[in-house]
Parts: sequence; C-alpha cells; structure tokens
Amino acid sequence: MREPNIYASESLDAERESGVAPEVLDLPPWGKTTVVGAPVPRIDGHDRVGGTAVYVRDLALPGMLHCAIVRSPHAHATVRRIDTTAAAAMPGVHAIITTDSPEAKIPWVLTSQGALSQLLDPHCRYEGEEVAAVAAETPLQAADAARAVIVEYETLPTVVDYEAATLPEAPKLHPAGNQPSPSRTSQRGDVQAAFATADAVVEHTFHTPCEMHVPLEVHGSVAQWDSGQLEVWDSTQGVYAVRDSLALAFKLPLSSVRVASHYMGGGFGSKLELGKYTVIAAVLARRTGRAVKCVLTREEMMRCVGNRPANTITLKAGARKDGTLVALDATLLGAMGAYPTGATSSYLMLDLYTCPNVRVVERSVLINAGQARAFRAPGYPQAAWALEQVLDELATKLRLDPVALRLKNIPVVSQLRNGQPYTSTGLAECLRRGAEKFGWAEASKAAASAGHVKRGVGLAAGMWGSPGAPSATAIIKLYADGSVNINSGAADIGTGTKTVFAQVAAEELSVKVERVRVEYADTATTQYAPSSGGSQTILVNTPAVRAAAADVKAQLLALAADELKKDVATLSVKDGSIVIAGEDRMVPFSSLRSLAQRQQLVGVGRRAPHPPGKVALPFAAHFAEVEVNTRTGAVRVIRYVAAQDSGRVMNALTFENQVLGGVTMGIGFGLTEQRVLDRQTGKLANGSWHDYKIPTAMDFPTDFQCVAVDLQDQECNSVGAKGLGEPATIPAAAAIANAVCDAIGRRIYDAPITPASIVNALSRAGGR
Amino acid sequence: MLPTFTYVRPENLGQAIRELATPGARVHAGGTDLLGCLRDRVFSATRLVSIAGLAELRGVTESPDGGLRIGALTTLSELATHPLVLRRYQVLAEAALAAASPQLRNQGTIGGNLCQRPRCWYYRGDFPCARKGGDTCFAKEGENQLHAIFGGDVCVMVHPSDTAPALTALDATVRLVGARGSRTVPLNAFFVPPSKDYTRETVVDADELVVEVALPPAPSGGVSTYRKLRARGAWDFALTGAAVSLARRGKTVEHARIVLSGVAPMPWRSSAAEKELLGHELSDAVIERAAAAASTGATPLSGNGYKVALVRGAVAEALSGLRDAP
Repeated sequence: MREPNIYASESLDAERESGVAPEVLDLPPWGKTTVVGAPVPRIDGHDRVGGTAVYVRDLALPGMLHCAIVRSPHAHATVRRIDTTAAAAMPGVHAIITTDSPEAKIPWVLTSQGALSQLLDPHCRYEGEEVAAVAAETPLQAADAARAVIVEYETLPTVVDYEAATLPEAPKLHPAGNQPSPSRTSQRGDVQAAFATADAVVEHTFHTPCEMHVPLEVHGSVAQWDSGQLEVWDSTQGVYAVRDSLALAFKLPLSSVRVASHYMGGGFGSKLELGKYTVIAAVLARRTGRAVKCVLTREEMMRCVGNRPANTITLKAGARKDGTLVALDATLLGAMGAYPTGATSSYLMLDLYTCPNVRVVERSVLINAGQARAFRAPGYPQAAWALEQVLDELATKLRLDPVALRLKNIPVVSQLRNGQPYTSTGLAECLRRGAEKFGWAEASKAAASAGHVKRGVGLAAGMWGSPGAPSATAIIKLYADGSVNINSGAADIGTGTKTVFAQVAAEELSVKVERVRVEYADTATTQYAPSSGGSQTILVNTPAVRAAAADVKAQLLALAADELKKDVATLSVKDGSIVIAGEDRMVPFSSLRSLAQRQQLVGVGRRAPHPPGKVALPFAAHFAEVEVNTRTGAVRVIRYVAAQDSGRVMNALTFENQVLGGVTMGIGFGLTEQRVLDRQTGKLANGSWHDYKIPTAMDFPTDFQCVAVDLQDQECNSVGAKGLGEPATIPAAAAIANAVCDAIGRRIYDAPITPASIVNALSRAGGR
Repeated sequence: MLPTFTYVRPENLGQAIRELATPGARVHAGGTDLLGCLRDRVFSATRLVSIAGLAELRGVTESPDGGLRIGALTTLSELATHPLVLRRYQVLAEAALAAASPQLRNQGTIGGNLCQRPRCWYYRGDFPCARKGGDTCFAKEGENQLHAIFGGDVCVMVHPSDTAPALTALDATVRLVGARGSRTVPLNAFFVPPSKDYTRETVVDADELVVEVALPPAPSGGVSTYRKLRARGAWDFALTGAAVSLARRGKTVEHARIVLSGVAPMPWRSSAAEKELLGHELSDAVIERAAAAASTGATPLSGNGYKVALVRGAVAEALSGLRDAP
C-alpha cells in the first residue's frame, strides 16, 4: 500500500486505525437534506471582505514587539562571522539572536538519522535561509536593525538545476549527497512482457515547473509566554500539528502549548507545518518577556515557505486496439529543495486506471532552493500532466475517442489496496456527464480551424488518493434560547468550512444557520481535528459535527418527552421547535422549561471509522476548449467543464468556489506559473507579482460550468461527502494541454505552455 | 525599510524645478512604482518632490495646429478613455489600456510611464547588475527569456512602457523643463540606448521634469493600433508589442510607423517593416513581408528566440487589424 508520500504517515494511519472508537454513534445516511447542499453564503463573508476579520497580521497584543529575520542572500554559503553591534544599538531593538545563540541549535528537519539542520544554521543551503533575527518596538525598526546585522559569508558552489544535481560532480548540499534516499520502485505485473502484447505504445518525457503557493495571506505568527505556557497565534492549516512541533522544539508538554489560528487567507499546503518564523518569534518572546509578532514579507514567502516541486516524468504506456491499458512504465524525478521531502507522486499511475502491469521508479534530489512542501494535491498535477497526455496520445494512435479510451479502463477497486472496492466510483460518471455537458461528441469532431487562430478541445481525468484521517471530535452546545455553538479544532483556510459546519448542525437540529456560531482552530479551547489539508476537512469533521448535533438532539427530545409527557418516539425537531406527531402545535426549544433550567445541552460527536474493507475517494474529469493564436502564441481557455465526484455537495456556493479556484490554479500550472532561479547564482529571479504570474480573472474562461456528480454514497461516512479541494485542480492543466495539442496538432511536453512554447512547437516540423 | 527622505509638495512648476535641483531628490507623480523601488533598494532618495498636486501638468487639450497636448500628470485611464485620443490616436488609447491594471492606470501618469525604470528581474532583484553600478549584465548568461532581441549592449533589458512605442509611432514630442530652461525632444530621441549610456533610460536630467507630451495632428487617412502580446491576460508587461500608425490614400499606404515594445532597451522602430508597406495596399502578402522584415536584425539570446516569431506575429496581427477595421 502506497500513499502520496507527503501525506504518507497521515494516510497510512488513517487506514491502519480504522476501527477506533467503538462507542461512536454511526448515524444512518441523511438522504435528502434542505440546509446542507443549499447555496448558503459564508457566515463570515462580511467579516472577511469588510475588514473586521482579525488575521495574524492584524493582531496587536499589549507590549508586543516585532520581528525581522536576517536571511542568507546566497543560495549556498557558510556564515563566517556575524556582528550585531551596530544593530543592537539601533533604536527600539530589544533582542537579537544569531547562529551563535544557544537557541540557534533547536533541531530542524528531523529525520530518522537525526536533525539535518537547526533553527539558525551557519550552513545556508538556499537563498533566504535564516541566520539571525531581531525583535524591536516597530516593524520598521526591526527591519532596519535586521539590515544592520553584518554577516560575513563564504559562498559555496551552487546547484539549482535538479537534473544536474543528480550528477556526481554536482555541488553537494549535505555530506550524504544530493539523493538522500535511494530510488523507490513500485511494481505490479510484468511491464516488459505486457508491452509486447500492446497494439500501441507511447513514450514521452515531460517537465513540470516549480510553482509557488502564494496564498493571499502571508505566513506569520504572534508568540507570547504566560507562566511557562507558550501561546501562539499562527496562520496555519493545522493548529494541532503546529502545537506538536512546538512542544518538541521547546521540550514542553502538549498541555503547555496553545496554538490558535482564526481567520486564514489560504495556505494550499504551505501552512501545514511549523515555520521557523514561529519558533523565532517564540524564542524572542521568551528572551524579552514580551509578545513578539513575526510576519513574513512576500519576498520571504516566495523563497522560504515551500513550493510545488518541479518534476521530470518519463512515461511509457501501452494499450490494445480496443483501448485496454496493458502497461505503464514511469520514472519520476522531483526537486526537493535544500532538505528532503516528498517531491513526486506515483499514485495516479498506480491507481487511476485499471492496469495490471505498472512500474514506477521515483527519485528525488536536493537543490539549493527552498524546501518543497505539500501543494494542493502534492505530486498529482505533475503526474496527471504526463499520464493524461500520454493517454491522449494512445487514443490518437489507436484512433479511439479519448473519452472512450478512459472509459475502457475505469477501476471499481483500488489496485493499490489489494483490490479493496471503492464506496463509490464516479470516474466514469464524471467522464460521461462532463462530456455531455461539454458537448464533447460534437466539439471533438469539429473541423480544424482555417485561420491562424485554432480551436481545440481536450479532457483529463483525475482522482485523489487520500481518504482522510480517521478521527475528529466536535462538541455542540444548544443554549436555552435555541441557539447553537459548534466547537471544533478544524481550521477554515478559506474554503468555507465554518459555514458548512453550521449547515450540518442546522440541518440535524433544524435551526437557522444564523443561529449557529462556530468556535474553531484553538488547541486550548476546541476539540482535536486533523489539519485542514489533503481534501479532508469536510469529510473528516462534518460527520463528527453531525454526530454531536445528533447527540444534542437526542438529549433535547428526551428532555421534551419528559416535560411534555409524550413518548419520545413521537417527537421530532423542525424550525427550532419540537414537533409532536399527530399534533399541530410546535414547541420552540426556547420555551422548554427544562432546557432553561439546564441552560445548555452539550453533545459530543466523533467521526465513525472509515468503512471497513472499502475505500472512499473522490474523482474528477475536466474538459477544456482553447483558442491558440499561432502567430502570437497566445492560449486562451474559452470554455471549461469540471465534473467532480466528491459525493454530497455540502454547499452549492463553496463547492463551485472550490472548483473554480482549483481550475484557476490549474490554469496557472498549465499556462503561466513557474519559479525561475538564476542559473548563475541560484537566486530567485522572478520573486515579484509582476514576474511570478498567477492567473488573473482575465485568464479564466467566461464559460465555466461545474458539474457535481453525486452518486449518493451511503457508505463513505455519515454525511456522504468525499474530498474536493485537490481533485478540483489535479486534471486541469493536463486538460488544457490536451486541448492545445488538439488545436495546433503539436504536443507540448513541458509546463507551463507559454507563447514561447507555442511558437517553438510550431517551428518543429509537422502539425497542422 | 525605506531610506530616510524628506517629502515636499511644491505649489508650482518653478518651485518643483528648484526642489529637484537638491542632490538626492526624486520626482513623485503617480507613485505607482517609486515606493516599491525605494523599498527594494533599486535606487535611493533623500528628498521626494511630489508634483502630484500641480494642476498645470494635468489634462488633455487640443493645440491650435490640430494636435494634442497631454499634460505629464494625465493618467493612463484618462488617456485610454479620452474621446479625442480614441478618435484620432487609437494606438495611444489602446496602449494606455493595455498597461498594468485598472488601479495602476487610475494612478499612473503618462510622464511616469515614459520615465519608468526597467523591469528586468536582475535590475529589480538583489543582483548588482551593470545598470545599478555593477560590472555585469546577469541576463546575458542567465535567465533572459524576457530580454532584448534588438539593441542590447552592456545591458539587455527591454523598455517596459506600452505608451512609449505608441507615442513614438505618432511622432510625439516631449517637453522638458529644468533649471536651465525648457526643451522639446522628439520621442525617438528621448530614450537612451545602452550603447550610449547604460545607466540611464532617458535624456531627462535629474533636475528636469517631463511636463507635456505633444502629438502632431493626425494625418488624414490615418489609422493606428497597438497589439500587445503578454504572458497573462492582465497586469503584465509586453513580451512583444507592435504600435502601428499608418496613413493611407485610398487603400495605398503613404505613411507608416511600426514601433515595437518588449524587444529592445527602448521603443524599437522597424523602418524595414515600414518600407514594405509604403506604396502598397495591406494585402496578405504585404503584411507577411512587413512582419518578416520587422524581425530582421534580431540577435536573440539563449532563452528568447521565440520573440522573433512574436515580433512577426504582433506586426501581422496589428496590420491585419487595421486592414480589417471599418
């Protein structure tokens, strides 16, 4: 069993532990819902757009100091000497830590062989690595003092080309070399023998660029110490993950670390882990006895808090005349950055389509650049870029429709999980219904355009391979006035989680969404929830919320039965009232004397385990129509249909939003985004919004439709929802690439497809 | 974060000129790029002279000869929507609209757009490049996919302005006022090639101000357009662009200006392409010849050979657009 390596520990745990908490109330499926699924606007929408939402950057604690970090301007260097004399004498400066400080030794990048680095490491392995930090009265004083810290470096040879980094003569980042782990091979069947039976074989090498996460909200923390307890406000996707790492860093019990993350402006995977800035803020707070805020600049963020690793993927695929896949053989190379991390994913090759013979060899290499992090479907968009283009090539060779070819290879079981069946497999349905909505049959047969502006259509499919963590707890309180409080540790990273939680409670308790408040993401006051990442927030937490609401409802009905002298079986809830079967009257919760006496009912909900022996995963198929101007190289996505099988739609608005955001991100991956490191110095060349090109509204198709394929999965969990965040972006770039190929008759193997790639491809021989 | 500077807001042009004579002074107009440059240490300043309040530098007026005078503080948004500009100098309206984003166009001025500093990522980044007083142009051996294919020398940056090629195509002139008086410079002599002086982009001296851009009367039978090729749909500098201004008698081209953006350290006039048009109708064949001629003499770097095709594409698109226009 293999999982996308970045989430490996989490996912394996998920499947190993299915079977926890036997006392969990396993609720029957909902069936039809009224509040859940409705287009309910975000409950915090006004706060977010009106400026009243307090993000970390807005937080101001009494006496709070501000931190600025001194970073290596070199991609590879050692610190010879640091002189803080001038900086320490500057106005407002309270504390400075450097590579020479005792706290600098806090271990960093923990591996089974020990820590590979430390908080402030005199061996700087990428531009932007931390060497010192200043706490001062104001952010500007801190920045000025940081600039006044004198650091003498000895520069070292640099390697930023990840293919070159694999060569024996490449400069080494760590004593063990640039490939800390051996290649990993995943294999089933006999690939060589199978290719001999194929009627068509296709092989290509693809390159995908390094992308930056660039969430709207920059990374940052505020830290303070209170009687030996560390309190941290962080912009994070996982308060519990950050708490655990902080406890380790400062050798504290979990109970002495509090991490809270309220409003968040996106993370996309770059905020799943503890950041050095957080630890630095905590160290400086301890030194000064003051709260310390450390908020990164955009420039720091673009270098130091993760990225989507560049991949080189060579993929060979063979199929029979009828489109049956017989073999896939892939080698993947990923660029980890300066420290080991997951940089490739073989998942799609191994499990998206039925294929008895598969071999995937994965290698990852270190380069002098910021460490990669999970980025919305870690490894998947890269793999989809290669796999979905190769499938289209096979279809072309075999003169098959690319939709038909994919439909020929739909799995009903997970081959990676020894043939475990899926609770529902919407892949075929996504392909069929997406194709229907798109008008694929007609669009794909349209004659080639005569002029220099060519139209083309393409599709790609995808899935996400993580079923989510097994455990989450939520507490719900029903107050005497009939209003409701939800308490859950999950972070709302901008996807609308809070609103969906409120809908779930409102549905179960039959109260208005406006009467529900959500307390969230605070390790001191809210209940454990796994990190909001890996498309799991809804499917892991809402069953717990529903269970808590059901618990409250059971207590409420029992109270009401007592007070109204009715059989509890005759009671139900509707519109904030108790309804008695066979009677017209409705008794508002707030008029129950027994509830008023108790003031509140408290319900505890836990998520039931994953269904035993089955796996619940989401699927997608995307269809794109593009216009390619062969004179100018411009590619416009003019029409798009995204069909998603993510089970139940929990909120029609946030669902479409997620998909729209995922497709936009895919347009960036496919057409505009790539980190450019200067090959001479290893420094970031395009570290600005001008030069690092995330797509704008003008790059998004005006004709966009999202098709929700809901197979009414009765087994995946008690709400019927599967993940959406990652599957909404996985196939997007590949669909666009296939459409471009259809338009110009040339395949472009490297992302992003820029005007340069178009005119260069057109100058190759052949094509339309 | 920022250098320490004083900020003055003169009440009239004379005062502004006097203030600018102070060493370390820099002009502040729309301010869309100044603070960023100061913060990023692209250059420094000890005194900011804000001319933003000088009403005399604002607005578009018709001159007695039938041309147009554009105050240096006129915003790009004003230019993009001004009825006279739209009617007679389409290329300028299109170029102004193609620049930046709505917010930046509302704030950015035509004077500032002409005088903007390079956007080369080495110049803007933490690299001691030649233009900033260093001894090398990093782009030559480095990441040069966005750089010049014409006119490169010690520095291979491309001039970032969209309005500059449009104004060059319109034979505009710029009026400068300084301590030593006023002078008028044709736009085709306004920009300084790196071969002459790679540390400056324009002839404007430190104590001079661009006060006005003047357009000659639009020729009869005149049409013009700007075609910008970019990597994304908005807020992006040109990968390549073509500003074209033609005058036709009947269908025959009698006057032609083709000026490219995004391919040279200054707006790059392509006389070879213009020559292909003179005396001809805009047939497919003529357009193709002009487009091909526009790329002659290009000397691409390791990563920007594609711009040769883009130059042809931009010129062909611009000319086809003018041919097909009603």
